[in-house]
Amino acid sequence: MSNFLYLFRGGDASRIQQSPDEMQAHMQKWGTWMGGLKEKGQLVDGLPLNKEGKVVEKAGQVITNGPFAEGAEVVGGYLIVTANHLDEAVEISKGCPIFEHNGNVEVREIMSMDM
Amino acid sequence: MNSTNILIEHIFRHEYGKIVALLINKFGPAHIEKIEDAVQDTLLKAMQLWSYKETPKNPTGWLLRVATNSLIDTLRKDKKTMLREETEAFLKEINSNTEDIHLNTIIGDSQLKMIFACCHPSISQEYQIILSLKLIGGFSNKEIAKALLKKEETIAKAFTRAKKKLRTNVKSLKIPMELGLRSRLNVVLKIIYLLFSEGYRTTSGEVLIKKDICFESIRLALLLTENKYCNQPEVNALIALMCFHVSRFEARIDANNEIVDLEHQDRKKYDRDLIVVGNQYLGLATQQSEEPSGYHLQAAISYCYSIAESFSKTDWNSILDFYDILIKKQRSPVVVLNRLISYNKVHGANQAMNELKLYELSSNFNDSAMYYAVKAELYKDLDQFDKSKMALKRAIKKSNNLLEQKHFSKKISLLEKSRL
Repeated sequence: MSNFLYLFRGGDASRIQQSPDEMQAHMQKWGTWMGGLKEKGQLVDGLPLNKEGKVVEKAGQVITNGPFAEGAEVVGGYLIVTANHLDEAVEISKGCPIFEHNGNVEVREIMSMDM
Repeated sequence: MNSTNILIEHIFRHEYGKIVALLINKFGPAHIEKIEDAVQDTLLKAMQLWSYKETPKNPTGWLLRVATNSLIDTLRKDKKTMLREETEAFLKEINSNTEDIHLNTIIGDSQLKMIFACCHPSISQEYQIILSLKLIGGFSNKEIAKALLKKEETIAKAFTRAKKKLRTNVKSLKIPMELGLRSRLNVVLKIIYLLFSEGYRTTSGEVLIKKDICFESIRLALLLTENKYCNQPEVNALIALMCFHVSRFEARIDANNEIVDLEHQDRKKYDRDLIVVGNQYLGLATQQSEEPSGYHLQAAISYCYSIAESFSKTDWNSILDFYDILIKKQRSPVVVLNRLISYNKVHGANQAMNELKLYELSSNFNDSAMYYAVKAELYKDLDQFDKSKMALKRAIKKSNNLLEQKHFSKKISLLEKSRL
């Protein structure tokens, strides 16, 4: 068993065009998906991220407004999920509603001491 | 994680109209686009945040606070001449009063004013409808396009122009008191009924029941009756009509989320309370006027459906009588086809088919899903199963509603079974 970090990117362009009803429906899909993970004991943690941010470089000598280049690359949120291996974590991520908006999920294993 | 989300149906659309009305009332139609952006952005934030977290206990208060803050931020950035003190006072009021009944009163008042602003006489009827559906109903361009049978981009362009008109011609929101109120009220009613129909009949997606929108429409009509100038017979007739329709709401769908047609509806599921309320309003509407309006007639028809003990005991003669008067007042494909259903029951399928053929030749002929569904029904009654099946297949193609398509498919398989 390992923990995996899901980084959610993109989808902003089509998200902003949704009607209020569609937004709510989309939100409920996330709720259902995450609720399912929670029920199976696979969900460890997760939070959405605000669009605005700063990028700090050279110990603060360079601070730029983030995020960053293209909208498609902005991380909109993250989840930490428990799975047996990377393949399973990828499999779980396939149910994520972000794909409705052409966003993507980066799946990364979180390193642990018992490797 | 968020089981509470399921409990609040259509809250986003619901809240959109409320908050837009309140902010436009406060900051003026000049800022309409910034207000829309702020509310849209707020809903987006809610969507993201509430996916992860519990929905707040008072969603309206949350959304209103975030939208107001976001709007004021934008206005400050633009260095618009906002009275700083006034803005601060409003923010304070919003932040302290979000759970108050007081807030509901302000919202109700704002929305009533908003209805009349959207229906300002200097704005064309087409724009009035679009403005109301967008700014009060919280519908998207796509949804409106479907309701009005237009292209999405046409609606988008029209909405942009309509907003410009609103900004130019309506400087602040108020309820009209002058003589023109009556005609302005008629457009308002048309829009409320459109909103209602969108909720009741469904034009898209898998969600057949948008009861929330129906009650929202009734709520808007009730808001009108609270104002003595707006409390006209048509308003009460429309409320009656909507109550009778909604009384059958639960019966129209079964446990498998499939459509149940009138013939097979469980009458025990009809909401008696709503029929009683509808009756009160129809009585009031009848007392108030000498000649029935279209809403009176439609309410009377809907009443007949709602009180019928069974499909076979439906008072088709009265329904047809009402349709005969109605069709003279407002001839539309929906009225023609609905009349045909009762005509079929009274005069038989042969004559009804002749009527349908006349309709096919008429100028307002529209080969809609409903047209094919009615046609299929007539063929079925004439024992022409293949033609009935074909019509149902056309109906499936014409429909963009999954549940409706499923319903037609089911009818096809029933037809096939009946021939075995």
